Amino acid sequence: MKKLITALLGASLLSAPAFAQSAWTGGDDQPTNPLACTGESPAPEPGEYNGGTPTGAPDRNGKDLKVVDIPKLVGVGYFASTASGMQEAAKELGNITVNTDGPTRANIDEQITFVDNYITSGVDGILFAANDPVAIAPVLKKALDAGINVVGYDADAEADARQWFVNQALPNGVAKSMMDQLASEIGEEGSFAIVTSTFTTPNQARWISEMQAYTEKCHPNLKFLETVEAQEDNILSFNQAQTLINKYGDELKGILGMTSVATPAAAEAVQQNGLCGKVSVVGLALPNAMKPYINSDCIQSTILWNTVDLGYAAVEVMRQVADGTLKPGDKTVKAGRLGELPIVNQSQVLLGQPKVFTKADINDFDF
Amino acid sequence: MSRRLTHTLGSLGQEILLVVVILALFAFVGVYNPRFLSENNLTSIFVGNAYIAVAAIGMSLVIISGNIDVSIGALIGVLAVISGLLVTNGYPIWVAWLAPLVVGAAINAVVGCLIAYARVPSIIATLAMLSILSGGLITFTGGQWISGLPAGYQLAQFRLFNVPSPVWFMIGMTILAGFLMRYTTFGRSVYAVGSNPEAARATGISYKATVVKVFAIHGAIGGVAAVLFATQLQVIQSTVPVGLELVIITASVVGGVSILGGVGTVFGSTLAAILFAAIGSSLIFLNVSAYWLRAVQGILILATVLADMARRRRTG
Repeated sequence: MKKLITALLGASLLSAPAFAQSAWTGGDDQPTNPLACTGESPAPEPGEYNGGTPTGAPDRNGKDLKVVDIPKLVGVGYFASTASGMQEAAKELGNITVNTDGPTRANIDEQITFVDNYITSGVDGILFAANDPVAIAPVLKKALDAGINVVGYDADAEADARQWFVNQALPNGVAKSMMDQLASEIGEEGSFAIVTSTFTTPNQARWISEMQAYTEKCHPNLKFLETVEAQEDNILSFNQAQTLINKYGDELKGILGMTSVATPAAAEAVQQNGLCGKVSVVGLALPNAMKPYINSDCIQSTILWNTVDLGYAAVEVMRQVADGTLKPGDKTVKAGRLGELPIVNQSQVLLGQPKVFTKADINDFDF
Repeated sequence: MSRRLTHTLGSLGQEILLVVVILALFAFVGVYNPRFLSENNLTSIFVGNAYIAVAAIGMSLVIISGNIDVSIGALIGVLAVISGLLVTNGYPIWVAWLAPLVVGAAINAVVGCLIAYARVPSIIATLAMLSILSGGLITFTGGQWISGLPAGYQLAQFRLFNVPSPVWFMIGMTILAGFLMRYTTFGRSVYAVGSNPEAARATGISYKATVVKVFAIHGAIGGVAAVLFATQLQVIQSTVPVGLELVIITASVVGGVSILGGVGTVFGSTLAAILFAAIGSSLIFLNVSAYWLRAVQGILILATVLADMARRRRTG
């Protein structure tokens, strides 16, 4: 058996150069579309509208609207913060009331029942964050058939089951936020490694490819070391980050966390090694998971979309859909204090760049 | 008697083999990249995976008794959440540390009863338990992590003589269980029940009581693993780590515990857990994809089981 292992490791060693090619490991091979390094990027063509249309909807232009918001579940910080953004928009607009109501656990069957009940009780609009894109589609179509305006946010349904979807972030936007933040923390010539879920997880692979494209364009001297996999496992993420620290020593200046599991675990590894301030952790994570590290000044930031703005934008979009001022074929939509938001992917409204949470504001968010 | 002696020697062979493989691996990777042998990295290897080695001790007992438990990963997840919820809801830290042991023993005693008294095969009983525990966990917590753990709760971050506590738990519990299995009536009855239940019954060993005890002990050990798991970081993930039960079972089997029951020691499973941890770390140092870890684990399982069968043909 010893021979076997030696042979295996030997074989692996020989194949090692195959991994050391120029492409960052863990990315996919789909085309990339890096944003501009500074300033505005030209908005991509939205393409032909593929959302649904309510049948026999009354003229709601300027009239008072009664809207229900049915998130994946209620009683958690994440959707409490989207709901607070919705109330903010409703207050500003003055002619729309939003009531958030939904299941107490992320259960698609319960969510369908909620939608169904609100169709029966009669509302002008439904906002939703779907627990399952396919399973929720029929009941949303039923709402459209009843003349109700339907807008999604956070988690989409099949496109023709709703009118518009407010998308919190596109891959190239995530990539730009991550790499700009990393470069600002470790300098333009620092070395970094990535902790991801698996090399084949679609979202993460997309982001990594976009990150590579954006880095080649805008931060060409940053040095990519390697990508390690950590599933979505807390302890494994910690161990992998720890091993990266052990392997590269002083050379390692930054760790990019690609999942909300990997990022706090990498921060924990940095903290337990007494490397606060020496190794940066930049990544996607929920603010609550990162508060211990950011409040103790060990880690500077965490990146995610602004959930308050997400709820705010959803209500702004709902108002304009009902008014008829947001129509298929539009390229932008005005969203109150957020300004003009671009239309992307045929029938989605893009919230914008993800938000970088720092010590200055992270404690204002509870999710 | 002579058969047991051969078996003991046989599995001792597995342990020596594991030690040799571990040392060879350390030497090989250490030459490739000396940082692999730094104190920091050695500590990482042992600490980050000690809870797997601890859980594999209980798993070894279960397998030696002729059973299997595929629910251990889910049990660890549930017990970790229970511990975290207790401490964040104001219960004393020691309660949060001990409750997983008690609850783990209780849950698995029920499983043991199903197997021993209701004659449900262990693979079925624990498969059902896996679904109940993992489904219940996600329903109950909604996937929310437990954070805001108080200072002093992080048992796994404590050090004694500059050695992290998980390493002490791993070594201490391995020795304790090794003693239990080798020198007590209970230990001997576990081997007897696993190698030949009918003969064991004929010699007055209660099959039912032994199986229930084995599962209860396994549950309590799982509770220790859960506390080490829960107290390593400042948040507790409320989902079950994917494939944890397979890693634990693999450690037992590669450690020389025969999947047919009756043979093996807990020293072997601990060594195998260390080996896997070392392989996992070395893959990063050798710039090899982590996917190899699964392949290597699979090959080690096959090699061990084949060697075990060959040994059985020789002796049996």
